Amino acid sequence: MLRFALKNMAVKKIQIILVALSIVISAGIGVLAFNVSSQVSDGITSNAGYYSLIIGPSGSKTQLAMNTMYFTDEPLGTIPYSVVSTLSKDGMRVNSVIPFAMADNYNGYGVVGTSPEFLKDKELREGSLFDSSKTLEAVVGYNVAKYNGLKIGDVLHTSHSSTGLDTHEQGIKVVGILKESHSSFDNVVFTQIQTLWQVHTHEGEEGHKTVCAILVNAKNPGYALQLLNEYDGKIVTHDDETFTLQAIEPMDAVRDVLNDADDTKYIVFVLCAVILVMNIMIISIITLLNMYHSSKEISLMRLIGISMKKINLLYIIQNGIIGFVSILLAFGVSRLCLLMMNDYVSSMGVVLNLGLVYPLEIVILVGVFIISILPTAIWTLVMSKRDSIS
Amino acid sequence: MIEVKNVTKQFQNETEIKYKDITFETGKSYMLLGASGCGKSTLLNIIAGIISPTSGSVLIDGVNMQEKSQKQRDKFRIEKIGYIFQDFKLINEMTVLDNINILNLEGINTQDAPRLLEELGIAEKKNSKIKHLSGGQKQRVAIARALVKAPDIVLADEPTGNLNFAIGELVIKKLVKASKNKTLIAVTHDERLSKYFDKVIDMNQMIADKKDIFGAGGGTKC
Repeated sequence: MLRFALKNMAVKKIQIILVALSIVISAGIGVLAFNVSSQVSDGITSNAGYYSLIIGPSGSKTQLAMNTMYFTDEPLGTIPYSVVSTLSKDGMRVNSVIPFAMADNYNGYGVVGTSPEFLKDKELREGSLFDSSKTLEAVVGYNVAKYNGLKIGDVLHTSHSSTGLDTHEQGIKVVGILKESHSSFDNVVFTQIQTLWQVHTHEGEEGHKTVCAILVNAKNPGYALQLLNEYDGKIVTHDDETFTLQAIEPMDAVRDVLNDADDTKYIVFVLCAVILVMNIMIISIITLLNMYHSSKEISLMRLIGISMKKINLLYIIQNGIIGFVSILLAFGVSRLCLLMMNDYVSSMGVVLNLGLVYPLEIVILVGVFIISILPTAIWTLVMSKRDSIS
Repeated sequence: MIEVKNVTKQFQNETEIKYKDITFETGKSYMLLGASGCGKSTLLNIIAGIISPTSGSVLIDGVNMQEKSQKQRDKFRIEKIGYIFQDFKLINEMTVLDNINILNLEGINTQDAPRLLEELGIAEKKNSKIKHLSGGQKQRVAIARALVKAPDIVLADEPTGNLNFAIGELVIKKLVKASKNKTLIAVTHDERLSKYFDKVIDMNQMIADKKDIFGAGGGTKC
């Protein structure tokens, strides 16, 4: 039966390609849209709960949150390091204070200056975290190491521009490589905050000790709220320069981003649903046309004595094979698209995991598979109700 | 033994054919002669269980086929009857062997197909698509498909219709030989082939009545 089904399919290549293409498009789009939106949403919210508040220069809340947690966008500006020192001394309300500065890049990958505590929850593939008492040491993200062939002990030179020009003379030694986390951490070089100051200080000059943001973990939500009110809008002076601070709650900022993204997501989902419905109609029409064109073949088989049961089975096997192969292809195509979209999505601070399959994706694939064989099943059922051959 | 008893067939175009009773004995070959449209093919289709008579019955080895369901008649046809259709009933897009092996779907053994194709002189075409064959070659594929299952009854509707006399004669000889000890009923216009059959039935004599039941005329003899 299977052999004959395959042979019968081989003579209908064009019709089969059309049906398969419709299935691949509809299932592929459905799966891709759901996977990307879910991974982006999950990726954005996963980092948001780590810190009680973020303190940075005044400006866009979203920009401050996205830059600090997902290393996207440009930093809003700088604030004096003295704020870090002040907060560190507030042991009553504060658990930890992490300085954050983003400057330069290494072959297009961002360079973040911070303290080792920033990476304390991250697993290392090899090596160790950099030593806060030293400078010019780096822990690199999984992709940075992978795509630049970096090993422990290698020395990298960061530069001001993404073109690789304007490279700093002082090299930074790789002391650790992070495990793959499918997050924005995979695409960043982390070093001591002092390293950033050091590479930017010219001989004979005294560098400005500034940071782009400060990540604070308060001892309890009450203290977090106190600190938020205290630091939001606070004006500090350093070296005759005045800085206006803002303090934000990371979850709030992320929620704003997700709310904006939700509107876009709904539009994408509606478009996907329209495409899916249209493709389902196309699949049904092509399949029914195929079956109609097969009527002569079916009548012929009936004339020589082949039972309707066997004919039904033959066509259901045929369409089942087409449907099954097509949904596998659709899954493969969706993963290929994820791979191609990774560069774009990583700029939003999320690294797409190609191996992550959501249960709803399986539901979409199985649904499209059932829809692909349904017209055949209905057609053959109608045909089998007719007892007479002629 | 096949017995055709009081069979009439009324078509949707309101033509009605009434057959006289006919008996076909097991192991004998019959040639049905008669003008076009006189009901020869209809009789073969009724015997094969493809169409049902309006009234009357066909008994095969004493079993009334009209009492069987279509499913049972289909099963009987694929297992016991080799039917060579006038227009071949082959799938044009498939190869010669695939058209024969289609019977495997119902568990029919088709291992004998290469030998039959060899005997019919089309072995070299076994992997060719039907659409690339001539009418005569298609006819021989249809014969091979009918005989491959070693049926008890062979029904042949104009088996030589697309062949020249020499090849047609050869095919009839093979058909008769392959149908030895079986019941062979062949419809043909060519009286020259009658010598190869045990019995020739003039269907013009076997039609009791043929009429357009709403027409002005009475019975019309074939």
